[in-house]
Amino acid sequence: MNKTTVEVDSLVKQYGTLNAVDGVSFKINEGDVFAFLGPNGAGKTTTVEILECLRPLTSGTAKIFGYDVTRAEDEKEIKKRIGVLPQEYSALDKLTVKENIDLIAEMYEKRLDTLKTIELLDLKDKTKDRFENLSGGLKQRVGIVCALINDPQLVFLDEPTTGLDPKARRDVWSVIQNLKKLGKTVFLTTHYMEEAQVLANKVAIIDKGKISAIGSPEELISKYGSLKVLTIKNGDKKLAEVLQKKFGQTSLSSDGDVNVKVDSVDELWRVMAVLTEMKVGRDIEIQTPTMDDAFLKIIGGRITEEGELKQ
Amino acid sequence: MKAYTIFKAVTKNWMRSRTGLFLSILFPILLLVVLGVIFSGIGGASQYALFVQNLDLNAAIGEPSDLSTAFVAALNSSEAFRITEVPLDENATEYARDTLGPLGGSMRILVISEGFEDDLVNRAKTSLTIMLDPADQSGTAVKSIIASVANAFNYQLIGAENYIEFNEASLIDDQFSMVALYVPAVTAAFMMINGVIGLTANTTEFKRRGIIKRLSITPLTKLDWIIGNVLSQTLLNLLLAGIMIGVGWIIFNIRIIPDLFTIIIIVLGSIMFSGIGLILSGFIKDTEAATAIGNAITFPIMYLSGTFVPLELMPSYLQTVSKVMPLTYFSEGLRAAMLYKDLEGIYTSMAILAFLAAVFILVGALVTRWKAK
Repeated sequence: MNKTTVEVDSLVKQYGTLNAVDGVSFKINEGDVFAFLGPNGAGKTTTVEILECLRPLTSGTAKIFGYDVTRAEDEKEIKKRIGVLPQEYSALDKLTVKENIDLIAEMYEKRLDTLKTIELLDLKDKTKDRFENLSGGLKQRVGIVCALINDPQLVFLDEPTTGLDPKARRDVWSVIQNLKKLGKTVFLTTHYMEEAQVLANKVAIIDKGKISAIGSPEELISKYGSLKVLTIKNGDKKLAEVLQKKFGQTSLSSDGDVNVKVDSVDELWRVMAVLTEMKVGRDIEIQTPTMDDAFLKIIGGRITEEGELKQ
Repeated sequence: MKAYTIFKAVTKNWMRSRTGLFLSILFPILLLVVLGVIFSGIGGASQYALFVQNLDLNAAIGEPSDLSTAFVAALNSSEAFRITEVPLDENATEYARDTLGPLGGSMRILVISEGFEDDLVNRAKTSLTIMLDPADQSGTAVKSIIASVANAFNYQLIGAENYIEFNEASLIDDQFSMVALYVPAVTAAFMMINGVIGLTANTTEFKRRGIIKRLSITPLTKLDWIIGNVLSQTLLNLLLAGIMIGVGWIIFNIRIIPDLFTIIIIVLGSIMFSGIGLILSGFIKDTEAATAIGNAITFPIMYLSGTFVPLELMPSYLQTVSKVMPLTYFSEGLRAAMLYKDLEGIYTSMAILAFLAAVFILVGALVTRWKAK
């Protein structure tokens, strides 16, 4: 059985009368990629900063490798063992990539070779470039090197792909996938559904300081995602009526597509049999539910590109 | 060790910033050169422009009388004035205004009245009319010089001898000129600016961009961070002092040899102003505000601590205020160590600076947040 790396129980963080984190509990095992998914202001960063010993908690408990984040002696041990990519990572503008990484590296007794780590992140050509001259994607990669330079057992990545272009985003994803292969535990906060679904083996959906659902992406999708949808392109009213009579949950879209929601694979085959019998020779698409659908069901809204919740 | 890493990083970051380098090193040099040129007499001593209309004519020949001519010559020989004679048929005020033009400076007119010579010969009182612009800040000095020349003229006329003579002697070594006083003063003022504005602006920027937060997640402690920054400020200030002394030596031939006291005072000053910088950084959230607040603090302090304006020229209540200005003791300490070699002054300044440095750095450390709320 995997060891528990992070253990949070009834965590509360209050600012005046506002509960930024409201009774959050979860566990992360060694080697997990845990995604904390939620809109801006949901309490993701506050939770992460409590775990990074940056912010005191109001009540509840939070332990990393069994060390209590509220105890000064434990804090030292935690800081040695974690790597962090903060939200909107930045560094000293006039220092080079290597100098910025060395600055963080020299804070640790145990550290990896800077140049080798830079190579791993494909930054070798940029070693002597000043931080101020790097693109957003490269800056983020420098931040990731800094997060890994002490060879941490647990890596916190707070919104690592926010503001990056699609290519840079995929590059960061590939880094996270490599971390997973190396057996590192990753705590990822994100507002991108696809990111959580692709990278994580455990997802917690958080909104207004509370965890609304937790589980593997597959579990969440199967539990909260809508049914599979079978779409018959350029259908007609008659076809829609036949399928509605036999299977229910059928609709005709404005562009003429007939959509049938199916509960199971068996039902899917039954619909296909009817279509074969009716000699329907049109294009057929099967849409499977995603994390986005599960999130919509759980929270009642979607998250925009900027991270805002849209009801 | 971690403090040394911070010192290296912060110093490199500053050294590579053109703006930082200009404000911390080049601007003080420029100011010192400007003040030096003004006060060292390079390019010729300054003179006051003075218009003189001599109405006292010798009726027989229609030329100015001998005594009035001699008086104008005496004014000239003082070397304090650049005299322009106003023709008799001109209105003195209009003539002076036309001659000076719109940006020609302050108008000063001396009119020698008709009968000047006769009055003096007959030992009767005579008068001179001085017309000055009320806004002319040199007015008092000009009146004093003219009065001095008139007095000397009186003495010579009645054949009196000067029994009391004034000999000028400098309080500081002859090798130092007026500009020598500005080397420690400008150095001290900019060390304050480096700490109060430079450090505050840098720290605020690091805070705003999450750099301090990133560092605080590592095993780096708040104490390491503060020591690293104070070391960087100290190095910057020692560098500044060295360069200012070098500039003074090369351009103005001021030979200041810094001793251990100078270095100790610079270290104490650096800690003190770094402390003030840290205190401000604890409350200020953005760089623009840091610069604005820093300026609002440092500029009054510079004038209230006698850095550029001698304290003696200030009203007595401002002289009292100057006694609570940290720059007063820093500036005085540097002067005492660099120029006067006055041990009592050095020890007094060092004791006060050590106390203020301890207080400010302690408060600075207390308000520096290493954890979010």
